[in-house]
Amino acid sequence: MTICQFFLQGRCRFGDRCWNEHPGAGGAGGGRQQQPSGSNRRGWNTTSQRYSSVIQPSSFSKSTPWGGSRDQEKPSFSSFDSGASTSRNRGFGLSQNPFASPSSDAQKDDKKLLEGIIKDMEIWESSGQWMFSVYSPMKKKPNISGFTDISPEELRLEYHNFLTSNNLQSYLNSLQQLINQWRNRINELKSLNTSTNIALLSDVKDGVNQAAPAFGFGSTQAVTFGSPGFPVNNSSSANAQNFSFKPRSGFASAPSGSPPVFGNTPAFGAASSASSAITTSVPTFGFGKPAVTSAASFSFKSPAASGFGSPGFSGFPASMAAGSFGAPGAPAFGSGTSMAGFGSLGSHSHTAFSKSSSDTFGSSSISTSLPVSNGSTTTDNELFTPRDQLTAEELEQFQSKKFTLGKIPLKPPPAELVNI
Amino acid sequence: MSLFGTTSGFGTSGTSMFGSTSTDNHNPMKDIEVTSSPDDSIGCLSFSPPTLPGNFLIAGSWANDGENDVKNQNIQRRKVRCWEVQDSGQTIPKAQQMHTGPVLDVCWSDDGSKVFTASCDKTAKMWDLNSNQAIQIAQHDAPVKTIHWIKAPNYSCVMTGSWDKTLKFWDTRSSNPMMVLQLPERCYCADVIYPMAVVATAERGLIVYQLENQPSEFRRIESPLKHQHRCVAIFKDKQNKPTGFALGSIEGRVAIHYINPPNPAKDNFTFKCHRSNGTNTSAPQDIYAVNGIAFHPVHGTLATVGSDGRFSFWDKDARTKLKTSEQLDQPISACCFNHNGNIFAYASSYDWSKGHEFYNPQKKNYIFLRNAAEELKPRNKK
Repeated sequence: MTICQFFLQGRCRFGDRCWNEHPGAGGAGGGRQQQPSGSNRRGWNTTSQRYSSVIQPSSFSKSTPWGGSRDQEKPSFSSFDSGASTSRNRGFGLSQNPFASPSSDAQKDDKKLLEGIIKDMEIWESSGQWMFSVYSPMKKKPNISGFTDISPEELRLEYHNFLTSNNLQSYLNSLQQLINQWRNRINELKSLNTSTNIALLSDVKDGVNQAAPAFGFGSTQAVTFGSPGFPVNNSSSANAQNFSFKPRSGFASAPSGSPPVFGNTPAFGAASSASSAITTSVPTFGFGKPAVTSAASFSFKSPAASGFGSPGFSGFPASMAAGSFGAPGAPAFGSGTSMAGFGSLGSHSHTAFSKSSSDTFGSSSISTSLPVSNGSTTTDNELFTPRDQLTAEELEQFQSKKFTLGKIPLKPPPAELVNI
Repeated sequence: MSLFGTTSGFGTSGTSMFGSTSTDNHNPMKDIEVTSSPDDSIGCLSFSPPTLPGNFLIAGSWANDGENDVKNQNIQRRKVRCWEVQDSGQTIPKAQQMHTGPVLDVCWSDDGSKVFTASCDKTAKMWDLNSNQAIQIAQHDAPVKTIHWIKAPNYSCVMTGSWDKTLKFWDTRSSNPMMVLQLPERCYCADVIYPMAVVATAERGLIVYQLENQPSEFRRIESPLKHQHRCVAIFKDKQNKPTGFALGSIEGRVAIHYINPPNPAKDNFTFKCHRSNGTNTSAPQDIYAVNGIAFHPVHGTLATVGSDGRFSFWDKDARTKLKTSEQLDQPISACCFNHNGNIFAYASSYDWSKGHEFYNPQKKNYIFLRNAAEELKPRNKK
């Protein structure tokens, strides 16, 4: 058997389920929890096996990073990988897939990048270092948006100027504003891994269009995720449960019954708000479509490829949890059945999905839909749609606790309805 | 020059100036304290060049001499002070000049007769020490952050870097700049050792200039650091040619970067410094900004000073730390070596690293002098 590279690094997601050899200790690597997809794994694994040779695990790995750094959801990704194949999950970053597809390297890098960012943010916050500084995740990478560079001397000069003009209060106010901005950005980067990551990755790597409403989440497309596509999964595999993504931060994972994982359509709504971070860059995950809001990249990739038929997705959602968004959508579709669902969804051009769908399913329809979806998100703020632009039905959907299949709005929810 | 305030004699080096140091920790290293140091934060220090006999120290500060009450606006007189430092360790305040805004950088001309000062009042002045006159020689649209004297075989000029994103070169006799170069962002720090100049800007910009013939941009470098640049210093190789620079950031890290290294991946490196909890990784570290970097002119080793109130000496070739000081009670905001490397001067004053809440105008600011000949000898490479 081939030696499992991840296990050697101490991070094999499959643990003793791993199909590769774990020299020395079978359980050592097993630690990676596959929780969300725990049970699903089984299911997925089997299905994914079929794909593994074909599909690159990549998609999975990507999801992990998000969830991964914080919560070890990485393991679950593995299942996705099979489904996801394709596309660079950049977002996921974790390519712990024992199946180690060639793209896993890219994913690994992404994952590492994201993990690095999170760690750096945590250190930044706790260390008391100067807060008004730009930041970039790795040397030679561009700066991450959202941070401004102010040197201590500049700040002090401002203070003195305001002092002499007897206007100290306004100095304090603007200072407070800057501090709040900084804090928000840091929290964003720490928590919204998936979405932010997508955005970040695009920022950092492709400089992908910011336009694409980040990941389908925020954008209308995100909504689609929660949508029906998953239902396919849910019903079928236990995996579906796994998906529930765990809406991590912000996402109100409303694991609805059937599309468990995705169930969070509401989450999407939330996600959209959360994904504000994402909006910036659309990581072109597997979708290859930058347009597809980065979010799409994440989740979809994996599911699409392997996901579809394989429970693999379920794992995905879990990992996605980070993004909460990404996961649900994509994985769900993964399941072959979802394909169908997807197909239908595709029409909605859930951007996020679309991408994946194209990847995995190859359904061109979906992919096309993506662009469409992207287009649809034309609201000034990609993440939200102003209330007046929504139809009554969409509004009702947003206001309800869960999205109903078949009625999932394509546009992102209005900001007011987003409650995380 | 009467010695203001300080009563403790300088006398021998190493004795702390003020009698009791048991309670206050302003001088844990027991270094010589400079008399009549400025009343407010010292932003920059500079020693006289070798052409001048003896050692003279210039310090630019935020110290305000004029009416600083809020009702009377714009009557600021920010000081630049000059001391003579004698071999015995005695420092004698010699002269001072005023700017209308805080002084951010100072430098000497190569013949030691003039001092150039850069200030937040958007101007730079040339101070003739013999006549004690200062005239304005440069004008920018925003505070001037760095100033350096360039002495080339075929020209000499003053280089000023400003927050208005330009780098200007001035012939001191003319009020128009000889040359203006655009920077990608505000200039945060710079260093010059002919024929190389390095400028680090906001948004992690880093540009190297070559100064032969006329200053021109040589290369833009991707910053090896992840956070805001704070200070930069050029180092020379064994043949005394500038070959690279050290870049410090607010994140307690210094990057050593060679311009044309034989093996970039191995030769360029970064190291962490000015952090608390060195070995204890469980508790979050406190990370401090590196406020200044200076290279020993003879040994090639470097000194860094940080917001944590410590200074450290490093050997970049052996990649080891030579010494770290005790912690002072205030951040160390600037540092400088004299021309032969015998004296290391560092300023203990608030650098605004924690915002205005921690600003205490009553706190005394110090400049310390330390004998640097021994401690900065390089470690022998194994």
